[in-house]
Amino acid sequence: MQTAKQMGLGVCPECYKVNTMSARRQRCRRCSNVFYQRKPNSLQYTLAWTIAALICFVPANLYPIMIVYSLGVPEASTILSGIGTFIDYGLYPLAVVIFTASIIVPILKIIGLIFLVSKVKAGIRLTAEKHTKFYHVLEFLGPWSMLDVFVVALMVAVVELGFVSTIEVGPAINYFTLTVIFTMIAAISFDPRLLWDDNNNTDNNV
Amino acid sequence: MLADEAREIDLIACQQCDALYNEPGLATGQKAECGRCGATLFEHKVNSIERTFALSIAGLTLLTPAIILPIMGITLAGQYHEASLLDSIRQLIAKGYFLIATLVFMFAIAVPAVRLMGAFYISYCFKFNKINPFLLNFFRAYHQLDSWSMLNVFLLGIIVSMYKLLDDTKLSVDYGLLAFVLLLICSTMVSVTLDQHHIWQKLEKECVDANG
Repeated sequence: MQTAKQMGLGVCPECYKVNTMSARRQRCRRCSNVFYQRKPNSLQYTLAWTIAALICFVPANLYPIMIVYSLGVPEASTILSGIGTFIDYGLYPLAVVIFTASIIVPILKIIGLIFLVSKVKAGIRLTAEKHTKFYHVLEFLGPWSMLDVFVVALMVAVVELGFVSTIEVGPAINYFTLTVIFTMIAAISFDPRLLWDDNNNTDNNV
Repeated sequence: MLADEAREIDLIACQQCDALYNEPGLATGQKAECGRCGATLFEHKVNSIERTFALSIAGLTLLTPAIILPIMGITLAGQYHEASLLDSIRQLIAKGYFLIATLVFMFAIAVPAVRLMGAFYISYCFKFNKINPFLLNFFRAYHQLDSWSMLNVFLLGIIVSMYKLLDDTKLSVDYGLLAFVLLLICSTMVSVTLDQHHIWQKLEKECVDANG
């Protein structure tokens, strides 16, 4: 199996045209986008955004995300305590959906991206195919973490009944949204072709 | 330079693992997959331009009702209150959460709207043979919006909030939800029917080769 890189070719990331790389920075002959053979400093960017996401994830879980006022009495809830309330009320499917989107997916993305970066760094790439699939799962799951943010945004707008019941937004929503955005940018910064690059040498030897 | 162009003309490389292939000729409805990592290389889609044109018009028509019409309302202690997508953004601004308001606006309104308009403009130009070099830059920009459209996540958000509110209030569903669901269907279908490979090839033939 030959790769574009071995032939001195590069794929434009916007229009997918195969271009001959005449310089490190190549202007695509079709769509005139400037690109590199591999995303430059891909691992550093991925790691940096992932760490930023991890830092934001801490206050996102410590501060309240939603404050419910019923008859003037405030009741603050964090993401985790909100899930606890659902379990108390027996709303298990809801608890599972929110727990998956708000806790499991961000943690899986953060750990997963660090794992992929370390795999490329360590040079152990025996199962590049599985790693690529894993990367795709991470990329696909990313936006679903925004679920809780959309829920809070909607609840705030709908529950607006003066003294009887209103809902206020908690500061955690800012940090949580940043976590989601940062993990999405981290996933985009990762270049999955790095998982395959060294494999070619072993293929050629066999 | 000429030798370079001749060399790259029939080649296609996998986006995910960089494997290099000679471009296979595909019949309508067929799909080429990478033999090494299994990713889709490209597809030859059925009636791509016509379908995209129709779906983007439908989507653009549904956009306004989906944003303005109330999605749901609640009744509690004799009081009734309803809210639309726009109301939820207005509330976030009123409460000082500008970052979240901006992002909700981007992911749930602006990006889907711009994508629909983009798909409409591209399919219109292709359908009525108004292909011009500007489309090269336009379609390149269009491509970058792909990962930031979150209509589907917002719909799940609506369902979750309904489930939550159902517990202690009387909930009513409004036409906004219907419009939103249909908008989501149109928007998803547009990304399925739009044949990027075909569009790029045609743009290259009409705009790049004509100049060079």
